[in-house]
Amino acid sequence: MSLLLVAAAPWLLTTGYWRGILVLCAMNVLLALSLNLVMGYTGQLNLGQSAFFGIGAYVSTILIKSHGWNFWLAALAAILASGFVGLALAAFATRLKGHYLAIASLGFAVITYQVLINWESVTQGVRGIYGILPPVPNTVALFYLVAGIAAAVYLLLDNLVRSPVGDTLRAIREDEISAASLGVNAAIWKAFAFGLGAAIAGLAGVFYPGFVGTLVPDAFGIIESFTMMAMVIVGGMGTMIGPVIGAVVLTFLPELLRGFGELRLMIYGLALTLVVLFMPGGIVQAWMSVRHKTRP
Amino acid sequence: MTFLRAEKLNKSFGGVAAVQNVSLQVPQGAIFALIGPNGAGKSTLLNLLSGIYQPDSGSLLFNQANLIGLRAHERVRLGIARTFQKIRLFKQLTLLENVLAGFHIHQDVPLWKCFLPSSSTRFRAEALELLSFVGLTSRANDRAGALSYGQQRMLEIARALATRPKLFMLDEPAAGLNAAEVDFLLKRLENINKRSITVLVVEHNMDLVMNVAQRVFVMDHGVPIFEGTPREVQANPRVIEAYLGGAIAA
Repeated sequence: MSLLLVAAAPWLLTTGYWRGILVLCAMNVLLALSLNLVMGYTGQLNLGQSAFFGIGAYVSTILIKSHGWNFWLAALAAILASGFVGLALAAFATRLKGHYLAIASLGFAVITYQVLINWESVTQGVRGIYGILPPVPNTVALFYLVAGIAAAVYLLLDNLVRSPVGDTLRAIREDEISAASLGVNAAIWKAFAFGLGAAIAGLAGVFYPGFVGTLVPDAFGIIESFTMMAMVIVGGMGTMIGPVIGAVVLTFLPELLRGFGELRLMIYGLALTLVVLFMPGGIVQAWMSVRHKTRP
Repeated sequence: MTFLRAEKLNKSFGGVAAVQNVSLQVPQGAIFALIGPNGAGKSTLLNLLSGIYQPDSGSLLFNQANLIGLRAHERVRLGIARTFQKIRLFKQLTLLENVLAGFHIHQDVPLWKCFLPSSSTRFRAEALELLSFVGLTSRANDRAGALSYGQQRMLEIARALATRPKLFMLDEPAAGLNAAEVDFLLKRLENINKRSITVLVVEHNMDLVMNVAQRVFVMDHGVPIFEGTPREVQANPRVIEAYLGGAIAA
């Protein structure tokens, strides 16, 4: 049912603009899934996800443009690069908890952003990289490609969180000392989730430059990390479907509000605040409790 | 061969000696009680044995393996499990998920297979058996946070047993339980012990200690003051003094 909807989406939204929004939406779903693994299932407050998104985008683009790599090979390298940087950060950061991890990962996002701006010989800095081609000829094909990959990632992660590894990650989220008393080496599993989350964000980043056509550091500022976090929280942290819903809602909501002009971002902000105030468990939990109440 | 042997353990926190020169031997197969007034250092000693803390000095052997330097999660693999004085459950997870998490060290599914669909029911039956052992089968799919205090204590016991320990340490398992629950706990402890699991219990509840323990180790102000059978402990003037205060004993 939902797969049919995804397949039909480019034929319901036929303008180039809206088809572009669809591609963005599929990318946001990937990003929300990646952050949810780290934040929702393992309980790590990670504000560095925008950096891994950026690393995926820059590594793949530079390999293709400057070194003539094939797109898919470059994509693989970019995913591995984001994943390894994620693991390296996790080696330090998994000792930190809660707000401390949030600040450390935020710092990492700021540093990465600055590197993208200042390492001009490689990244072209704020001047940006131009004329980047997508791996497929048109927007509809790109949408199907990214949506297909997002669906595959969803299924793999859905299996993972149902597996014994899922039990372990949730146990760490709930209580690390308690998990240790059951033989869980929390540092290793947190690093695993963090690195995998980083690799998936890098995967999303691989498709971004070809979609936009140009690559500038501003696309990977820390505000992106907060947007991803909003998607995860609004949809329902720690559930599989929640972040998908959150990504769809928060991709389309700002677009639908364009008619309000200057008021757009204020309404968007207000909507976010109201959701968190009245649906602290996100849309998924609100839906489940409504269904629970209306059941005879 | 000694089962668990601690020699001259010391642990201080900011100049306060919580555990001083404590040596103890826990024989295999026993129910061993660790008692003492509040602040005697019992919980600190348990944390040293389970690896939450490392001692400042002293030695610690379990089944001839040196425990010093091993962290809590590594000691679990040697067969040491524990519960906590302040209950630490995975409150948002169901009872069944709590117990299943306890099988972590026995999982042998390769990581890549966890990304594939599977209907692995391994450990599920055993987890349900453990829930039935502590009388919580009917609540298997409820969230742990929804249980009463006494039930939470029993769930924590079931979860720790999932690690299949050789030595099971419980930190004040009877605290906050009513008489019927204490009675149930007592029977469970005896049953656990019959499965050839050595039980070390830190406890305030004298009924429980006197009824199930074979050896009792008494501490006060971080130092051991007596060790013996429950009967000997009850008659020992130093123990009475520690509990009731010097003035009365004199």
